[in-house]
Amino acid sequence: MIRTPELIDVLAGELKPVRRLRSPVFRAACWALVAAGVVILLAVSQGVRADLAQRLSDSSFALALGGAAATAICAAAAAFALAVPGRSRLWALLPAPPLLLWLAAVGRQCLTHWVRYDAGAMMMGDTARCFATVVLTSLPLWLLMLLMLRRSGAVRRVLPTLAGSLAVAATAGVAMDLLHALDASAMILLWNFGTGTAIMLIAALFGRTMPMSSLSLPR
Amino acid sequence: MTGERSNLRLVAPAQHTEGEQTNYELDWSIMMARAQSGDGDAYRRLLTAVAPYLRARALARLGSPEEAEDAVQDTLITVHEVRQSYDPGRPFGPWLVAIANRRVADRLRRMRRRHKLSEAAADVVGNAPRRQDKTVLDNRALEAALDDLTPEQAQAIRLLRLEEQSLADAAAQTGRSIGALKAATHRALKALRRRLLEGPRP
Repeated sequence: MIRTPELIDVLAGELKPVRRLRSPVFRAACWALVAAGVVILLAVSQGVRADLAQRLSDSSFALALGGAAATAICAAAAAFALAVPGRSRLWALLPAPPLLLWLAAVGRQCLTHWVRYDAGAMMMGDTARCFATVVLTSLPLWLLMLLMLRRSGAVRRVLPTLAGSLAVAATAGVAMDLLHALDASAMILLWNFGTGTAIMLIAALFGRTMPMSSLSLPR
Repeated sequence: MTGERSNLRLVAPAQHTEGEQTNYELDWSIMMARAQSGDGDAYRRLLTAVAPYLRARALARLGSPEEAEDAVQDTLITVHEVRQSYDPGRPFGPWLVAIANRRVADRLRRMRRRHKLSEAAADVVGNAPRRQDKTVLDNRALEAALDDLTPEQAQAIRLLRLEEQSLADAAAQTGRSIGALKAATHRALKALRRRLLEGPRP
C-alpha cells in the first residue's frame, strides 16, 4: 500500500480545476425543465387525451396532476441533495407531502370514477400505448438522473436512487394523466421503482470499484 | 504553518476555544475552494492538515493502525473524486466527516468479512500439523517464516496461534488493541501461507 503522504502528493499532483455542483434545487429545476420537454414532445407526437379540457375542471384530476408534478420536482431536489456528502437525511422527506396529495387524489378519482370505465372498451392497444408512454418518458429521464447522480455512491446509494425513481415515476404519471384516459399510477410506480432497484443492484455489483478506477495510483 | 497548527487543534480540540475551531474550519473551507479552482499547493496543505484528524477518527472506530491508515487513504481518494460537490458557502467539517464515516464503515465491513475468512484459514493452518503428525510443518521452516514477518505480526502469531492465548490475554500482555492483534494475525497468516506454500523468498 502506498504511504499517505505519497498519496497526497499524487492527488495534489494530478489536481485539475473542477466546476462546482450547483445547488440541489437549481439542478432539480434543470432536470424538471428537461422532463417538461420530454412530456411536451410526447404530447405533440401522441396527442393529448380528447377529454383533457373537461378533466382539468375536475378538482380531483387537477390535484392529482399538480401533485404528481410537485412530487417530481421535490423528489428530484431530494435526490440531488441526498447525493451531496454532509447534507441532511431529512431531505428524503421533501417529496412526501406532494406524494401523499398525488396518491390521495388518485385514490379519490378511483373511488368516484372507476364505475364509469367500461371494461370491454379497454383494448389491448390502449395498454400497449400507455406502456410506451411510460417507457418513453422514463428512459431519457432515468438516463439524465443517473448522469447527474453519477458520483452519488460516495456517501449514499439507496436514498438518492429511491428519490430519483420517484421523480421519474411522478413525471411518467403526469404524462399518463395528460395523454391517456387510463389511470395507471400503480403500474408507473412499480415500473420505476423496479428500474430503481435494478440500477441499485447493478451499482452494488460494479459501483464500488468505479470511483477508484479513474485514478492511476502507484499501488 | 497553518496546516500543522490545524492538525494539533483537531486532534486535541478540547484545548482550544470554539472560536479557534471555527477559524481552522474556515481555513479548510478556503483551501478546498482554492483546490476546486486547481490550486495544488492549497490542496496538498488541506489534505496534509486533515489526514491526522481522519486518522484519529478512523483509529477510534477500527482499532488497528493499518486499517485506520487504509481508511484515511480511502477517504482522501473519495474527497478527490467528489471534490466538485463541496459548496464553499457551507461548513467543510460535515462534508468531510460524512465521507470519512462512510469509508470507515466500508472498511469495518471488510474487516469483519476478512476476520471470518482468517478464522477459517487459521483452522486449516492450525490443524495441519496435528492431523499429519508434525511432518507437514517443519518447526525450522516455521521459525524461518516467522522471521520474515514484521515484529508485530510475529508476536501476534506466537501469542495467538502457537501459544494459543486468548485475544484478551494477548491484548493485555502486549498493550495492543484486540483489533490491532486481529489485523496483524490476518496479515501474518496470509504471509505465512504464501511463504510456506511457495517456499522462501528469493
